[in-house]
Amino acid sequence: MHAERQTDRQTAVRATDRQTGSSQVMEAIWLYQFRLIVIGDSTVGKSCLIRRFTEGRFAQVSDPTVGVDFFSRLVEIEPGKRIKLQIWDTAGQERFRSITRAYYRNSVGGLLLFDITNRRSFQNVHDWLEEARSHVQPHSIVFLLVGHKCDLEAQRQVTRQEAEKLAGAYGMRYVETSARDAINVEHAFTELTRDIFALVRSGDITIQEGWEGVKSGFVPNVVHSSEEVTKSDRRCLC
Amino acid sequence: MSDSEATAAEAPEVSTPESQDASPAGTPDSSSEITPDTSTDVAPTRKARRRPEPKPAAEVEEKPKVEEQPTKTPSESTVSQGGWGYWGSWGKSILSTATATVATVGQGLTNVIEKAETSLGIPSPTELSAQVEEEEKELGESVHHTDLIFFICEADKVAADGSAAVGSAMGMLTSLTSVVQSTGKTVITGGLDALEFIGKKTMDVIAEGDPGFKKTKGLMIRNATLSQVLREAKEREELQTAETAESDSEKKVVAHYGMLFDEFQGLSHLEALEILSRDSESKVKSVLTTLSGEELVQLRDELELIKDAFSLVEFDDEEVDEKKDEDGSEFERELTEALEGLSVSATAEKLSKVLTPHFCVLDQIPVLQITDITNPEEEEGEEDAKKTLSVEEVHAAAIRSLAELTARSIELFHKLAEMILFSNGSTEASVLSQLTVVLCKEISLLSKKFTSCLTTAGSNEKGDVLNPLITGVFLEASNSASYIQDAFQLLMPILEISHIQRRSESTEQ
Repeated sequence: MHAERQTDRQTAVRATDRQTGSSQVMEAIWLYQFRLIVIGDSTVGKSCLIRRFTEGRFAQVSDPTVGVDFFSRLVEIEPGKRIKLQIWDTAGQERFRSITRAYYRNSVGGLLLFDITNRRSFQNVHDWLEEARSHVQPHSIVFLLVGHKCDLEAQRQVTRQEAEKLAGAYGMRYVETSARDAINVEHAFTELTRDIFALVRSGDITIQEGWEGVKSGFVPNVVHSSEEVTKSDRRCLC
Repeated sequence: MSDSEATAAEAPEVSTPESQDASPAGTPDSSSEITPDTSTDVAPTRKARRRPEPKPAAEVEEKPKVEEQPTKTPSESTVSQGGWGYWGSWGKSILSTATATVATVGQGLTNVIEKAETSLGIPSPTELSAQVEEEEKELGESVHHTDLIFFICEADKVAADGSAAVGSAMGMLTSLTSVVQSTGKTVITGGLDALEFIGKKTMDVIAEGDPGFKKTKGLMIRNATLSQVLREAKEREELQTAETAESDSEKKVVAHYGMLFDEFQGLSHLEALEILSRDSESKVKSVLTTLSGEELVQLRDELELIKDAFSLVEFDDEEVDEKKDEDGSEFERELTEALEGLSVSATAEKLSKVLTPHFCVLDQIPVLQITDITNPEEEEGEEDAKKTLSVEEVHAAAIRSLAELTARSIELFHKLAEMILFSNGSTEASVLSQLTVVLCKEISLLSKKFTSCLTTAGSNEKGDVLNPLITGVFLEASNSASYIQDAFQLLMPILEISHIQRRSESTEQ
């Protein structure tokens, strides 16, 4: 846990630190912006996980999300290579489903959360995946399966093995996290970011006009040689 | 402080009560005499409906103290950017307050009149109006656009090499550069004021008309959604900032409206709102295609009523009096009132929460003013910037507050859209328009408070430092109001589809 927090400090360039002019300068320097969407049943802890990641704190009480909320943060995936994550935090409640559906299509990746102490939320993972995949068409979306609330080991209803198996069946990674104890929160987001970055670099995901999933950032020439930026900028498979 | 505030707010009206009551800035009225398609009684309706139209303006950069800018070639810096040329009736008194210099623009930027007035740099409305009229007569046919007014801000000394010196404020201007091209200007100096005291003219107000409202509106729709335009501006600012980061020689407090707006998630909320608006619009269309005969006619009529409610909004800036709402409580009350009228159930709490951060912003203002007033007096040395807020800091706070209030307003509209869509209650468009008026008034008030604050803080500053900052605040205030009004318009298809859904539910039962 302590190790996790240290890593937090080392790698995080907090998007929420906006008091100084220098942070604005830092924020302007990123290689790409990835838009991620976070989905899953109501009360599995989507907002809490995101808040832990973007604000570094855990909210004991949290209102249900209405529609969608937004967060952003920079992640340094390699020294000097920063990715800006724009995170769309969707409402899990069924009654918002018709609205949140509209928000999928501009995301390049996402976290699919379930609560390890709530078997039902795990059973719904398949539906969520289907829902998301059908609404991001014609684009594809990279998901990471997250078993949340792993600090509540005693109440666990979903074993790590079965979750890993399910994730594997859909070609996803699986990570267990806890927003309360800050376990694997950084890890979950950075892993997903790295995976997407690799796909962008390999050309499997391209920047496209009119699609907000991946945006190219502005990189001062002095800081990066940034050949991959120019490469993928110019390429368009559509 | 209150003295200068009062002067700022009242000077225009007081000086010419008989001739310019209706229009302190004088521009919309005077111009309407020349261009017949903007008669005064029609204008307010149109203004409320108009989307902001990006107009070019000289690109401006925040570098009050730097005369040369090695990183930019002259050709880069002369690239015009579109200005959000929206000054409805909302902007009138703000404009008169803001106006240190006035310019009229035709198909090219052919003429600039600069005019400045005592102490606060406010020309009397009569003078302004007279000049504008005169200019437009001179311009003759080349003046097509009449009721659009926007600022171009630049500092003379930088204008020489083509780049201009006001904040990133102007960074918001984009894309539709072809509509008006800056080609030249004539500068006339005048006044005994702070501006002349420095000997610099830094603010140009470009009055521009709008002949073909439809044409420009069409342009707007074809070219970009609001969020695209804002995103481009933000990206340009980021590029600028990144470039500045390279040469870390100049470390300044630079407030980039677009970046801040994004930071407060304004862009995201706007985009999400646009998604919902578009989806609703296409749903409405597809419903209409399934109907025929009397059913169709009836639904059309009903939808027309909703449309009307969205076009009849008038944002009257006349009542905006900065004295009225010292602590923001008035705004809070009006806002609560406006929100009470919304029948989206059980959401008032959530909504007020959305706006809570804004109240914090408001709370800072009196503090800023006090700091600004007391400290400069106590300290003889103007150079001591440690204890007093520099004009750049006040400017940054102003831009930040405007960006935050605007972002929160867009967020509010987005949340409202979501709630309207999932709740079955009917929402009156008039309530939403009232909300829009309240928000725009608040923007106006905020900009006035900050500019009088700036004036005080910058009493020892040179005009070429202070005036671009003041102009920048008014410019962004005008932009902010445009964005809010645009977001309001995005709600229309949402109310339409909500109406259709309620309608079909009631017929099913």
